Amino acid sequence: MKAFILRRLAQMIPTLFGVILLTFLLFQVVGGNPVYRLLGKNATPREIARLTHQLGLDQPLIIRFLHYLGDLASLDFGRSWETHQRIAAMIGEGLGPSLSLAIPAFILGTLISLGLALLAAARHKLGMDRALVILSVLGMSFSLLAIIIGAQYLLAFRWDLFPISGWEPGWRGLPYLALPIGLWVVSQIGADTRYYRTLIIEELQKDYVRAAQARGVPGYRILGKHVLRNAALPIITQLTMALPTLFTGSLLLENFFGIPGLGNVSVSALNASDLPVIQAMVVVGAVLYMLANLLGDILYALFDPRVRLS
Amino acid sequence: MSAAKIKPGPRPAAPSAGPWLLAWKKLRRNRLFLLSAAVIGVYIVLASLAALGVIATRFQEAVGPGYQPPSAEFAWGTDVLGRSVLARLVHGARLSLLVGLLTTGIAIPIGVVLGLLAGMSRRFLDPLIVWFYTTLDSIPTLLLLLSLALLLPTGKGVLTLCLALGTTSWVATCRIVRGEVMRQRELPYVRAAKAVGVPAWRIGIKHVLPNLWHLVLVQASLVFVFAIKSEVILSYLGVGIVDKPSWGVMIDDARIELIGRGAWWQFTGATAALFILVLAFNLFSDALKEALDPR
Amino acid sequence: MPVHLTPYQRPIGGGRKGRVAALLAAAVCFPALSMGILAACSPSEKPPADTYRGAITGNIKSFDPAHAGDENTNTIQYQVYEALYQYHYLSRPYDVEPLLAAAMPIVSDSGLTYTVALRTDVYFQDDPCFPQGHGRKLSAHDFVYSLKRLADVRTQTTGWWVLEGKILGLDAWRQASESLPPLPDTASPPLYAQPVAGLEAWDDSTVIIRLTHPYPYFKYLLAMPYLALVAKEAVLHYGQEFLNHPVGTGPYRLTEWRRNLRLRFERNENFHSETYPREGESGDSAVGLMRDAGRVLPLIAKLDFGIFEESQPMWLNFLRGRLDRSGIPKDNYAEAVMPNKRLRQDLEAKGIDMVKLRELYTGYIAFNLKDTLLGRAKALRQAMALAYDVEESIETFSNGRGIRAQSPIPPGLFGYDSAYVSPYGRFDLEAAEKKLAEAGYAGGKGLPDFEYLAVSGTGTRQLGEHFAQCMRRLGIRVNLVAATWPEYLDRMKKGKFQIVRAAWGADYPDPENFLMLLYGPNEPPGENNASYHNPVYDSLYRRMAVMQDSPERLALVHRMRDIAAEDCPWILVNHRLAETLIQGRLRNVKLNAVMSAPIKYYGLESGTP
Repeated sequence: MKAFILRRLAQMIPTLFGVILLTFLLFQVVGGNPVYRLLGKNATPREIARLTHQLGLDQPLIIRFLHYLGDLASLDFGRSWETHQRIAAMIGEGLGPSLSLAIPAFILGTLISLGLALLAAARHKLGMDRALVILSVLGMSFSLLAIIIGAQYLLAFRWDLFPISGWEPGWRGLPYLALPIGLWVVSQIGADTRYYRTLIIEELQKDYVRAAQARGVPGYRILGKHVLRNAALPIITQLTMALPTLFTGSLLLENFFGIPGLGNVSVSALNASDLPVIQAMVVVGAVLYMLANLLGDILYALFDPRVRLS
Repeated sequence: MSAAKIKPGPRPAAPSAGPWLLAWKKLRRNRLFLLSAAVIGVYIVLASLAALGVIATRFQEAVGPGYQPPSAEFAWGTDVLGRSVLARLVHGARLSLLVGLLTTGIAIPIGVVLGLLAGMSRRFLDPLIVWFYTTLDSIPTLLLLLSLALLLPTGKGVLTLCLALGTTSWVATCRIVRGEVMRQRELPYVRAAKAVGVPAWRIGIKHVLPNLWHLVLVQASLVFVFAIKSEVILSYLGVGIVDKPSWGVMIDDARIELIGRGAWWQFTGATAALFILVLAFNLFSDALKEALDPR
Repeated sequence: MPVHLTPYQRPIGGGRKGRVAALLAAAVCFPALSMGILAACSPSEKPPADTYRGAITGNIKSFDPAHAGDENTNTIQYQVYEALYQYHYLSRPYDVEPLLAAAMPIVSDSGLTYTVALRTDVYFQDDPCFPQGHGRKLSAHDFVYSLKRLADVRTQTTGWWVLEGKILGLDAWRQASESLPPLPDTASPPLYAQPVAGLEAWDDSTVIIRLTHPYPYFKYLLAMPYLALVAKEAVLHYGQEFLNHPVGTGPYRLTEWRRNLRLRFERNENFHSETYPREGESGDSAVGLMRDAGRVLPLIAKLDFGIFEESQPMWLNFLRGRLDRSGIPKDNYAEAVMPNKRLRQDLEAKGIDMVKLRELYTGYIAFNLKDTLLGRAKALRQAMALAYDVEESIETFSNGRGIRAQSPIPPGLFGYDSAYVSPYGRFDLEAAEKKLAEAGYAGGKGLPDFEYLAVSGTGTRQLGEHFAQCMRRLGIRVNLVAATWPEYLDRMKKGKFQIVRAAWGADYPDPENFLMLLYGPNEPPGENNASYHNPVYDSLYRRMAVMQDSPERLALVHRMRDIAAEDCPWILVNHRLAETLIQGRLRNVKLNAVMSAPIKYYGLESGTP
């Protein structure tokens, strides 16, 4: 198992390098000279030249890239142009709130989707299944933006069921997270339910299911013990593929509900053209994604020994 | 209700007109497909008429006082500057369809070409292309979109938006094409062609590619939907379209007036217009996939 | 079990289907229930009796006075840092009074030398950067250090323009600082010990400042947030993190800062004695602003600021009693204020009060006169000015809170004339069309599309759309370009725009601060966005900039105003009226156009929920 993990980590390195290279080219080459930004209104040409030299912007691209690699290796993402804070500190502060939103939302969403999918598959072609399919397609077609605005207006503002925005660390933050998590789940279960439903229905058509039924095994045990276990692999695949959407969702949700997470930092940086922060977010986002993929691969390997040995 | 329809079976490999005809017959009978195609058609017609200046011509002027609710006079009310919300919705449709078309026009060719190259190549091009799209894929889509929209030197506008959207949506197509090409490469007819001495690129373009169109078509509709939905979010965040009426801009306008004054019509209008189009496309793509690629 | 049925036709689970259904139903309902329960456990609504709860409406930069300059950053810095002077809280017109200084400055040498005596009872707040953590006594050397630090190029302050060219020897010192090693310093560089002719600490409590020109508004500059006094020990101790660790002499000290979420302050135990003013304007006593006269400041023990980048949550929190003060978002105006400009009944019943302020603010639209067409065709510019329905835009986008600007100088400043109407300061479509024809572009024919630059954001975008709508009536096509705030500043600085929407809020209460916006040498990267050059205007400016208020100065100001009105480098838009709502329990609130959030004067009614 350990060899498998190491192998996968090694495979991740070229991709990581690619991400770093891509962001470097994108932001440093296309992004423009930050010196005007930093020096304010009346910068003289002397000052501009001085700061350009101090920031190392007059060096050849290769050297700058190597410096950048070195900085990243020591987790130095530089400082924000807007607030002059250390970006690494900003990331550290933002990680907690983001995860406090993303992880419960993800787990809850998956559980509910699986549950609904099982229900739909069990009632395949009957009323409940049809209804769930229709609801799923409808759910998939709604824009998350519209859901957030509508829900914030109705549930938080008009009917005062939830706080409108804000956040607290620890358990006191739960009331603030309730609505964002709920909205996230609602926007995701459409697509997920449909996918799992298809998977489970396929499983149900296999011979062993018929055999189990003939033997008298109760339905829920067939579903729970056998079908889920066998469908676990593609489910895990789908889970890891759904991870990038966590980031998108968190961007909008954090922005609307005032949760001080990485998504909020990104939107603020966007509005302020704070390129180093956005650049750091891209790299961090990619790393998180790759780590999650790794996790998915490990789970996959746990379930399916053949993968480990290949 | 026969088992044969649902049970997955071996796919027909030989290129022929058969699958297309079969697919068309299937689609013709699918009511949802017809309905969704009709809806999309309506949108296209309305958008074209608006582009030609036949309807909704006064979408930029004030047709009445601001913030009027829907009534006999103003079919879907007016917005902050007194402009007709309905007219702006129609022009928003035009913009969305344009964005969808441009994005698809950028993403699909790139995906197909790179997928073909990767699939057909023996040594060096394939790992390179795979590395490239794995890298792109690892970056959270919205972040990449925002970064591109912010950094591309083509200024802010429809072109930049579609370039950014296109850059982030070709990967799925490329993956599928590549996979399919690699599969086809092992098939007898390709091997035979190679044995006879037909150069790789000819095999690719003349023989393999025609077998891929059904997959590509499905992907195209998915990219279209992705583009429309993403444009709304990007315009809302201020990096998309600014001075033309897009649904995203309308939702941005509508948000504050909804909570502030309870002016619900612009919000529901834009949301509904978007929802119906996306729903229609989702059903359309589903039916297409069912018919063309029933795996 | 009948075997001929295929599995997918028969519901799985047969008689057990109830179990499955129930389980799944529970899986769906449980989250909904828990969400409901959790939401109901929202924090209670009773406001704390010793805490002021305010709102910060945007991203704050930092606590470093070198980065002051926007309202939110000034608000928080104002609680911990102090400058030599401050504006008198109640008196109008605006004037400064001593804060860290002991008395008004002695001005000699025809306005070139300022001798300032410092108070001898001021101590910095307690902080680990001082020996044994005790805040040390303030001295004149702190003032010299603070200004040198501002002049140091490595500090990268945005406020250098305040001092540039004004203090003898400081500009040369700044140039010398270019060769210093990069920050952070571990010890004070020798350059800091080098004397600057215009900045002298005569002794521990006397400062002598020597100017290059007799600027009459210099005393106001001594009250600006950029010139707040900082402690050298704090800068050296905290290095690059100094911007997060304010160590000041102000009424409060920072106790908590969660980025993007909240800031908390507590009363500074070392705060020098300061009392609520005993004098004010004639109407102050009637509105209860004199009740706390003579009491020791600050009156409120704790401050709690929430960061609200969106206006709706701020407004709603205010309505629910969770904030003590809030602006009125434009879309909520009708639910707060009645057409006769009085507060609505339901808000008044809650004890909410409204305070107003004529801001020292001028909004304008600048033409880039370096653009060949716009620079040449004066009649075209005048036509556009006449075609823009300013009153409608004020009504639609500011709920009528403001007046149409007729000159760059806002009401409340020397030189403002409420009876004056500029020749192009009215909405007159016919006259506009005539002017357009005069320019040779009747009906907009022959004109290219113009580009209008504004900051991206819902409000500014809508303003731009309205402007374009007005121009369309003349046949002129205008395209909007939105940019983020830094891009916007960048483009203005580089002169990369055709038409731009801009505004200026007073840095100090002197008309020079507004008239300099049209002074030729201030062209980009300076503040003269329009690149307006008129030699007569410029020479008048140089004269009035160094005059004290007098009838001669008034005459100069009016002449300048007339010249600029005719040349039409700008379309003058508005002077704003700010309306702020406060909870009943908050008292002593008098809004000030040049001082952000003087919360040390605010008081809370005890015992009121």
